[in-house]
Amino acid sequence: MQYQLNANKGSKLKHIIRNPFLYAMAVPGLLFFLVFSYFPIYGIIIAFKDYNFAKGITGSDWVGFRNFDYFFTSDDFWIILRNTLVLNMLFIVFTTVAAVMIALMFNEIRNKYFKRISQSLIFLPYFMSWIVVGMIVQSLFGGEEPMINTWLQYLSLEPVNWMFESKLWPYILTVIRVWQGAGYLSIIFLAAITGISEDLYEAARIDGASKLQIVLRITLPLLVPTIMIMTLLAVGKIFNGDFAMIYAIIGDNSSLYPTTDVIDTFVFRSMRQLHDFGMSSAVGLFQSIMGLIFVITANWITRRVSKESALF
Amino acid sequence: MRQKQSAADRTFTVFAHTFILLFTLFCVFPFLLMIIGSFTDEGELIAHGYTLFPQTLSLDAYKAVLQSDVLFNGYSVTIFITVVGALTALCISAMLGYSLANKRNVLQTPFLFFCYLPMLFSGGIIPFYIVVSQWLHLQNTIWVLILTMLCQPFLVFLLVSFFRTIPEELEEAARIDGANEMRVFFQIMIPISKPILASVGLFYALSYWNDWFMGLMFVDNEKLFPLQLILRRMVSNMEAAKNLIPASAAIAVTPPTYGVRMATTVLTIGPIVLLYPLLQKYFVKGLTVGAVKG
Repeated sequence: MQYQLNANKGSKLKHIIRNPFLYAMAVPGLLFFLVFSYFPIYGIIIAFKDYNFAKGITGSDWVGFRNFDYFFTSDDFWIILRNTLVLNMLFIVFTTVAAVMIALMFNEIRNKYFKRISQSLIFLPYFMSWIVVGMIVQSLFGGEEPMINTWLQYLSLEPVNWMFESKLWPYILTVIRVWQGAGYLSIIFLAAITGISEDLYEAARIDGASKLQIVLRITLPLLVPTIMIMTLLAVGKIFNGDFAMIYAIIGDNSSLYPTTDVIDTFVFRSMRQLHDFGMSSAVGLFQSIMGLIFVITANWITRRVSKESALF
Repeated sequence: MRQKQSAADRTFTVFAHTFILLFTLFCVFPFLLMIIGSFTDEGELIAHGYTLFPQTLSLDAYKAVLQSDVLFNGYSVTIFITVVGALTALCISAMLGYSLANKRNVLQTPFLFFCYLPMLFSGGIIPFYIVVSQWLHLQNTIWVLILTMLCQPFLVFLLVSFFRTIPEELEEAARIDGANEMRVFFQIMIPISKPILASVGLFYALSYWNDWFMGLMFVDNEKLFPLQLILRRMVSNMEAAKNLIPASAAIAVTPPTYGVRMATTVLTIGPIVLLYPLLQKYFVKGLTVGAVKG
């Protein structure tokens, strides 16, 4: 049996028939996307219907934009939109700054054992489920006598009723996010630093530059494109509040909703508690469309910065 | 050649070490607290909360936890979905990745588009919920925990970008020697892709091990609860229980509830933490290949 190495334009079908295995290999994966990603995309029409379990997606009555009206005119809309954007901005800025710092400082460490051990430990939080993180947060801030308050007492500071102070939670969540994600992100920056030509450092050293100067004048500037790309990719996902994180940590503590309720937690709650499928899918559709616009814009900008790094 | 360090350079080096050391401690601290908490005597936990240097150690929490059928059951569910899920997911993703990366694939562009689109635009959780529960009737089966997470686009693309770095000549040479598609894939591609397969496999294993969302959405049957869901329920149930018991009676409750929470958490993360150092070097390598090549 003969194998074609290159297909002519006119013989696509022939190529597929002659190399069935090459195409068959993709089938299970494509099937997965069809069932679990494309069928739900079809289900978006629920946003325009008064969804009824008995009647199903096709059978339910059309209601036009009523589901959207209801959501856009409610006070919740502005709160969850603001929370989603503010929290994500905080996460992106602080995680990136921490990750860049880690990468730059890490690059200065020569001791192999210190390097290996600290790297392993810095990545560790990324491997934890948010439920485990939620449990830790719960034991630090929750209960009648939160441990953080015990420490505050040592420092003779006033105890705080953490579970009711919604103003503090954007900061607490940011700290948790940095704890969890900065080490992981720093791998990518470290990889970029490894790619910087050794000649540049050599030249700088001969010219008598100090270590700090080398970091600020060579490493950091050359890292900027990578930082920009990673930031743009993160900005592209800004409409997706981190559901797993926020739900696992905040849960159903409604006194914290004013600052921590994001689009995803709102949608999940409307589905589970209010069973309002129409409005929840309208919110979901709004989120998907805004997300798409942001991803495409971010990708467009990324392409202009560096074609290689763009998503598509 | 090493040059003598100036005072400024030395200060900088010290700063770099201190920074990394402090960040490392910051990352480790919660784990230490949790592990020590799980070995602390319950009375002390109630009186002082979790501390790094407890006065009395105790194994009561672990004794209580290890007797629990619920936890044992959760372990079996989680191990099953992690092993079966991660292996199946790895197979499917590796095959898809190979097919998508292959230059000979005349359908490459449409295939890639088909896999990209879900990353950019999704139906959201409501339609997803309806498809899984109303159309496929997967709720309350173990399969819902496995099937819904079989393919992660990001991991498929790590594989695609890796397969693209393999020189075409390798494949051509094998074909000239008479190897067919299956042999090229299994005897050439799989062996040289070990690092990336290990890291993608680790990522899949992690997402199965850590999953609770699919369980929360689709499973009511306690027998099918994965570990993380049991742990989640422990967070909220403890809260609920505390509201029911009057504050004065709380001391009289004997089961080491605070310790149990920590012990369960430790047991939940245990195996993954043990697996991680073994695979870490592959994982860093795999991730950088994917990240640099986009």
